[in-house]
Amino acid sequence: MTNRNIGKTVTDNLKKYAVTYLFIAISVLFIIVSGLDMNYVCSQLLLRLNRNAFIVLALIIPIIAGMGINFAITIGAMAAQIGLLLTINWKITGFTGILVAAAITLPLALFFGFLIGKLLNKMKGQETIGSLILGYFANGAYQLLFLFIFGSIIPLNDNVTIVGSSGVQNTLNLTGSTGLYMAVDGILQVPFMISLYVLCAAIILWSVVKYLRKKTSVHKMVTSIAIAAVIAIVFSIPAISNIFNGANGGRKITVPVVTWIFVLLLCVFNTFIMKTRLGQKFRAVGQNRTVANSSGINVDRTRVIAIMISTVLAGWGQILFMQSDGIGTFQTYAAHEQVGLYAGAAILVGGASIDRATNLQALIGTFLFHSLFITAQSAASNLFGDAAVGEYFRAFLSYGVIALALVLYAWRGAQQRKADSLRLESDNNAKAAKKK
Amino acid sequence: MTQAAKKKTSMTKRIVSIVLFALSAVLIITSIAGFVIRGMDSTAAKLNEMRTSAVVHVASGGLVDGIAAEANAAKLKELRALPNFRSMGMDEVKALCAEAEAAARAEAEALYSDVSGVDADALVGKIDALESALTEYNELSAAQKAAYAELYTSVYESVADWTDFVGESDDEALFAALTELVPGLGEAENTIYKDSFVKLARDLAAVELEKENAELYEQLFSAVTAAVADWSSLSEIADDEALWAKLVELTPELNGQDAVREQLLTDVKAQIAAAASGEVTTEAEAETEEAVEETATETVVDYGYFVESEAVAASGAVADAAFDDLWAELVKVIPDLDGLDKKTKNSIQETMMTVVSSGSLDFSTRYDIYVAQKADSVLSGGTAFQIKLAANAGMYLIAGIALLLLTLVYTFWKPLTRKLGVPRTIITLFFIYLCLAAEIYNISVSLMLGNVLVRVGMYGILALAMLPGIQCGIGLNMGMTLGCIAGLLSTVISLQYDMTGAGALIFSCVLGALIAIPLGWAYSLLLNRTKGDEMTISTYVGFSFVSLMCIGWMLLPFNNTKIIWLLRGRGLRVTHSLLGSFAHLLDNFLAFKIFGVEIPTGLLLFFLLCCFLMWLFSRSKAGIAMSAAGSNPRFAEASGINVDRMRTLGTILSTMIAAIGIVVYSQAFGYAQLYTAPRQLGFIAASAILIGGATVSKAKVSHVIIGVFLFEGVLALGQQIANAAVAGGGLSEVMRIMISNGIILYALTQSGGASRD
Repeated sequence: MTNRNIGKTVTDNLKKYAVTYLFIAISVLFIIVSGLDMNYVCSQLLLRLNRNAFIVLALIIPIIAGMGINFAITIGAMAAQIGLLLTINWKITGFTGILVAAAITLPLALFFGFLIGKLLNKMKGQETIGSLILGYFANGAYQLLFLFIFGSIIPLNDNVTIVGSSGVQNTLNLTGSTGLYMAVDGILQVPFMISLYVLCAAIILWSVVKYLRKKTSVHKMVTSIAIAAVIAIVFSIPAISNIFNGANGGRKITVPVVTWIFVLLLCVFNTFIMKTRLGQKFRAVGQNRTVANSSGINVDRTRVIAIMISTVLAGWGQILFMQSDGIGTFQTYAAHEQVGLYAGAAILVGGASIDRATNLQALIGTFLFHSLFITAQSAASNLFGDAAVGEYFRAFLSYGVIALALVLYAWRGAQQRKADSLRLESDNNAKAAKKK
Repeated sequence: MTQAAKKKTSMTKRIVSIVLFALSAVLIITSIAGFVIRGMDSTAAKLNEMRTSAVVHVASGGLVDGIAAEANAAKLKELRALPNFRSMGMDEVKALCAEAEAAARAEAEALYSDVSGVDADALVGKIDALESALTEYNELSAAQKAAYAELYTSVYESVADWTDFVGESDDEALFAALTELVPGLGEAENTIYKDSFVKLARDLAAVELEKENAELYEQLFSAVTAAVADWSSLSEIADDEALWAKLVELTPELNGQDAVREQLLTDVKAQIAAAASGEVTTEAEAETEEAVEETATETVVDYGYFVESEAVAASGAVADAAFDDLWAELVKVIPDLDGLDKKTKNSIQETMMTVVSSGSLDFSTRYDIYVAQKADSVLSGGTAFQIKLAANAGMYLIAGIALLLLTLVYTFWKPLTRKLGVPRTIITLFFIYLCLAAEIYNISVSLMLGNVLVRVGMYGILALAMLPGIQCGIGLNMGMTLGCIAGLLSTVISLQYDMTGAGALIFSCVLGALIAIPLGWAYSLLLNRTKGDEMTISTYVGFSFVSLMCIGWMLLPFNNTKIIWLLRGRGLRVTHSLLGSFAHLLDNFLAFKIFGVEIPTGLLLFFLLCCFLMWLFSRSKAGIAMSAAGSNPRFAEASGINVDRMRTLGTILSTMIAAIGIVVYSQAFGYAQLYTAPRQLGFIAASAILIGGATVSKAKVSHVIIGVFLFEGVLALGQQIANAAVAGGGLSEVMRIMISNGIILYALTQSGGASRD
């Protein structure tokens, strides 16, 4: 590899992940400026990562299928909230309650996803804005359901309805007798350092097994083992491990293992489905609908399936979100509103774009986005002497990053089209010249 | 479909149409018959007969109720005296009492309900006397109340800040200050309200002060929350003094805020305790979207401060005397009435007043009132049916018209939707349906129409801002919020320099439009580089700009104490009352009332003037070039039009109109709202123009006018009807969300779709 090539790779990489690098820089700056305790930052970050990762990962399949950022995952969240409401209404507690809610979510989200897919097929090329507005529209239907249909046409128990009127209460408590709070998170909490070591060991073991079964080269095996080992060693440095052990004050950070297993399972699912025939169809449809159509793929049907999967996953993700550590209440009329916005912003921050996304990008994006979220308020109050600025800065970041990603994508597309048409023109000219 | 099958469906359709037509015709004819019956003299006589009977029934029914209630109380007393009363369950006691009550009621009814032997003629005279006395009283009282309401509204609206009256202990001085603001208050006839309005001013001042304090406290507390990252770090400080000192050190804003010390310390301690025990401190994770507020346009008159004038009180006394006469007459018929206690008598009096004073009401209301008092027993079979028919004639008519409309739509669905499009057909139908429903719910149509007209003027120019965007080819310009922010900025600047009146309005419009030019230009550069994705991008650019300006509103160097947060000493407040500035200036310009409809002439004229200018522009050379660039860019390019420049022109125009639109909107609303309030305005404007018949690539001025009228008409009517039909409200908001987003979705499905494949 020559120096020039390396230089080109670096610039390409910089161009491709401009948003991500920008966010890394701002994150680091904010963490320093905010002056927050590292123990607090890390524990919050881990909490939010485990809370949001599932929903963000649910965005990947529609992106690959060429449908852009599926802001209609809000509708999946609504399906999950219907499930949760019924679970609370029937007073089913604990992990069973979560399973019941997930089971109710499944058919609902499949049905909603089917409708969303059908509608988005009618607005190809405008899916991002279409799904956003569809989310708003569904919010109206959701309010209609929760305010006027539940409690009057569909009878509910007193513990969830507004006393003396129809409609569901504004907030439902998930703690206490409802028993859904931390119903998944609380099953197994392992100290952070131990789970990190286990994870590193698992990575090393996995790559060795993979090598022995002759699926990778020595080179790759050594690299992954080295990375795992370095991570384990770096985190073992007392200065760092003390942050997580809570040795310098603060809490001892633990990891909700079961939730993480669900997140990892979803990552595996996302990777696995791409290797199946269905996954190939997603990719083909995403790359070029015309080509896919002429090679015998039912484009519309494939797109509907992609949205259905995404909606169901988003629903389950919302259930994981609601039960997680630090939420505790179910804001009946607001809990779903920002789901699409935050998830979309997070995945874009991670370096995904409108037409490509990976598990790693989703996870990194969630990590970066929420590191800004945690620190924005304190940082703004230190920079401008006003905490409220931080609150608005958060909103600006969420919308701004989506706008930036959309602009960059459209810009590139326009340049591409221009280059294509120029090339076509010069080809034609060349042909014409030859003819002469 | 085969030929035969097609024929069959068309036959079925024809038959269904005919049946529906016949049904609606039957309904309408029935209602006409009902109206004819209404007009007959014999019917009027029957109705008066019913009234007499109703009066007697009210008396006897009241008596029966009284006796039953007495029996209930007596039974309860008897049970209480029993030794085993304590061991009896609540339900058992209730059941026993109810049983006794029912028995007594049956007995009393058997005794008194047969009132056929009444000498009607003597009663009728007394009833008529009471009616005329009541009519006079009601008229006088209503007139006085109307005058009071007007006075109340003008007082309420002319005071910009009630907290000015805090600490004014002298009644005379306070009243003088109010009179200075509202000269009408000083007139001789209004002196009776002096105490009331002084009290009102004090009460409102207290309420406002409390609100301000609560706001201040909330800000302080959130400042503390932000400064203290980890509550558990404070848990070692046990001493109040030390804790306070620590908090002041962390949040300098607390300096000199000793007034809130106690409350703040309590709240902080609660947080610390919660953090220590590892409980959940619920995070306000989701920033709740603030819906565009639709309230506060109308001042609600509080009659708690109302005092009757002497004349009205005198006529009330006359009415009371007339009632006593009637009562004496009734006692002659039912002697047992004399022994009733005061409470029962009062409730009978109230019911009887409504029955008697019903003479001037319309037919069906009268009928309903009398039937509620079982007065239909005086009618025999045939007449009962006739009167019932007459009473329900209105309902039949509305049902008939509704059915007729449905039938027409069913029959002509295809040509109709081809001309209007599915959503516009549905919305128009919905509008007509709402008008009918307003009739059923007895909502004043003239009031509604005035409301709709104001809203048309209010949102019209905002919707007009969509027009150049669509014409120049960038589609629905959701980023018109940029222009809205420019307009809001200039409005706030006019407030900063204490400008008032027409000058302030013109200044805001002109400056807003000027600020919008560079904004629109920069924005168009972006849109020209991202062709094909404008709507997505403009939406998110608009959202981001609104959030960015939220920071801007906080940090811009405004310093007029009327518009900034007092505590922070900087940063603009969220809502700015324009009452002292240019609120309702256009609305009231040349405003007049016709058929009870208040016409906001100035507002509508200004809107129509803007529409006319826009129409002129679209006829000009530049306008035609712009439309050409929008509708067919390749062709335009080939014929020598600079497409990018035309798109820039359209974008700038759209942004400028939006800036003027928001100023007009704010003056009609009476308030300028900053921060996240303008975020959804683009959606509202887009839905309005789409309902008017525009598509994302084609629009005319007429679409704006029709669309705004239909959209705002449906919303305004719907809001009233939803509130009347379903208690608690909220339904109208749901309706707004669904209509507004539904129409945009529909437009998207029409524009995108398979066109790119």
